[in-house]
Amino acid sequence: MAGPWWRLCRRWAIGGATTTLSETLRCFSGGPASSSACPLGRASWSSGAGDERRPSFSPQTHSKAFHLSSSGLRRAPRCSCRATHSDARPEDPFTLAQKDLSSLYDDIKKELFVSTKELKHLCDYYFDGKGKAIRPIIVILMSRALNIHSNKAGDLLPGQRTIAMISEMIHTASLVHDDVIDSSDERRGKRSINDVWGQKKAILAGDFILSAATTALARVGDSTVVKVLSQAIEDLVRGEFMQLGSKENENERFKHYLDKTFKKTASLMAHSCKAVSILVSSDPDVHEIAYQYGRNVGIAFQLVDDVLDFTSGADQLGKPTAADLKLGLATGPVLFACQQFPELHAMIMRRFSSRGDVDRAWQYVLQSDGVQQTTFLARRYCEEAIRQISLLRPSHERDALIRLTQIVLSRNK
Amino acid sequence: MFSGSWSRLTRLSASITGGQRGLSLFSSSGSSNWSKVVSDAEKIVGYPTSFMSLRCLLSDELSNVAMHVRKLVGTQHPLLNTARGFVSDSKNNLQMRGLIVLLLSKTAGPSRAANDLLAQDMVSGIYPSQRNLAEITELIHTAFLVHRGVVNLKEWTVSDGPLKDMEFGNKMAVLSGDFLLANACTGLAQLNDTKVVELISSAIGDLVQGIYYENSYNAEDGPADGVDAASWEEQTFLSHGSLLAKSCQSALQLAKHDKEAQRLAYLYGKHLSLGHKLNSDLQPFVKSGLGEPATFSLSAAPVLFHRQIVGKERWRQQLQQAKTLRNQLDYSKLSAAVKSEKGVSSAVDLCCYHSNRALEAIQAFPSSEARSALENIASAITKF
Repeated sequence: MAGPWWRLCRRWAIGGATTTLSETLRCFSGGPASSSACPLGRASWSSGAGDERRPSFSPQTHSKAFHLSSSGLRRAPRCSCRATHSDARPEDPFTLAQKDLSSLYDDIKKELFVSTKELKHLCDYYFDGKGKAIRPIIVILMSRALNIHSNKAGDLLPGQRTIAMISEMIHTASLVHDDVIDSSDERRGKRSINDVWGQKKAILAGDFILSAATTALARVGDSTVVKVLSQAIEDLVRGEFMQLGSKENENERFKHYLDKTFKKTASLMAHSCKAVSILVSSDPDVHEIAYQYGRNVGIAFQLVDDVLDFTSGADQLGKPTAADLKLGLATGPVLFACQQFPELHAMIMRRFSSRGDVDRAWQYVLQSDGVQQTTFLARRYCEEAIRQISLLRPSHERDALIRLTQIVLSRNK
Repeated sequence: MFSGSWSRLTRLSASITGGQRGLSLFSSSGSSNWSKVVSDAEKIVGYPTSFMSLRCLLSDELSNVAMHVRKLVGTQHPLLNTARGFVSDSKNNLQMRGLIVLLLSKTAGPSRAANDLLAQDMVSGIYPSQRNLAEITELIHTAFLVHRGVVNLKEWTVSDGPLKDMEFGNKMAVLSGDFLLANACTGLAQLNDTKVVELISSAIGDLVQGIYYENSYNAEDGPADGVDAASWEEQTFLSHGSLLAKSCQSALQLAKHDKEAQRLAYLYGKHLSLGHKLNSDLQPFVKSGLGEPATFSLSAAPVLFHRQIVGKERWRQQLQQAKTLRNQLDYSKLSAAVKSEKGVSSAVDLCCYHSNRALEAIQAFPSSEARSALENIASAITKF
């Protein structure tokens, strides 16, 4: 399993001066969070190399991973291993977060206070309870895990609950705009806002949801939290811009793809996790753990999404959705496939715009091991997420966050 | 490094300024009096406020948009016009809102609550955070100029240009508007004052609601009925007043001025905006017509007031009478109908009222060069 991966990394090395893919990835795991992130991030990729042939998650692997990493950390609580063993059954994240999220959509609708009836209807349209609400779930579980870690027993802080809500609002606002940009007419099983009410109104609805989110954010009353989440908003837009361009150089192309993936998907998760950590702890190491968990899970989440674009639906109808290809986007599976089939290069550069490009590219991807490689990469990000979150004191919520990484990897829709 | 940036800016303007004259973004009241009032005021606040906007303009993201916008030349996509105004409109008070925020900051000066250390950071009597706020106000205003230009593709006709290009124009408009808004967000966060973040966020919400309301009737021929002054004010405040009012209030919050001073700043911003909107709505009715008759929006204040005065039925008749054979509107005829009743004069009265309220609001501040400039601006909106 690991074979092709490392071969690939070697292939990616161009000349002596440029970086290899593995180095690129290593830089990435440091992330833009803070410069102090480097030791943690770096350790993961180098020490992870020996471990990588064991992608399955048994409780044993967890405690082992924990042992390995805790040796290098001063702050790890001593009793944690025993606790991990005593609670061998992983927690279901959805059940565990449910009690804190039962009023999520009602709370959001209360924030969307508008006098115009129609605009109100548009703003509420996607908050119908049909979304996965993956961001609020992560934020709630992270908050509780962090509170226990910081010896603050008891309930969630009000600000943490608000941030869970805001994360879903920011995400939804960006979806509303994305659908206009991509001219999509469907979202979550119903017609998109732009399809029903037109582009003009859709853009305004998205803007309104965002303004309601930032108003709620300001009311949390913490300047640092405002800065952290406004960074996520900026990343969302920059990520969208990055999708406009393709890189000629293959090594750059992959970095560009991962960078875009971070900005479009992972940044909001990472920064939301960091925001709730700031509210409960003043320890920058704890902020970094929260941030890195969100970042790694977020990237894995998107990588799996990109794989599903090629694989889901293929079983029933034999036809893939291939929505990304149709939009001209080259995601992980295509970039990996391009290593085996250089013919893809020209198609990537013209954004699959010639007749038959989409079908041919899809064939190439299925003949290559692009899907497996991308899945493997997603697994690596999940392992890093687990390594990070395992640095926290054990709790049901922490274990649920570990379990969540498995769900992210195994989901099929 | 700088020369690189500048060549990029030049390329940017070259790629989107066509032969057409730039569009005036703040107003149509481009009288020489107004220009003089504004250019005098600009000297008072030190240097122009364009750094944050310039940074956005020179960013990779927007340069990219500029390259793409070239494709839209020849289509009817509104982004093209907005973009032209964005780079070529240096004369026409592009940054009017920012200027007022700066003048108010300077008028209020340092507060007793702010310590001396802060005062050292002041340039021309204005705190750096207040300058940043002025920029943010401009970014938000520009973002919505761009977002207002998104078009409904289901209403597309052949004369707009190729559908694919219009779709692409929308994509660019959404992205660049979002980019400006996102930069406003991070800029706001850097001000380290959550009260200000809350105020400006709510102003964005107001602006959206105001534009939404405008759109909902602009499509046809104005709202079903005329509106009275109170509901006109309510709606116009959302679409044209809230951002400036709340920015003015925020500027004083940043200097730690008390609630009362903040309230006065808010009132100045509010009444100035309303008066200014009335002024531009009145232009087609007060300019004595040489040449072709001026067209006007059927939701301009004098028309709305007129409709309320004459009632639904008579307005319908007047509209019918002003229709030419080819079902076009004869604006000079319609304008005469509006002028024959009190619609225009009540709009003029209302404009003077708001000008006076704006003047009143700043009297509590100590007399200064900056305050005089604000007074001149408030007076200039009643000159036609």
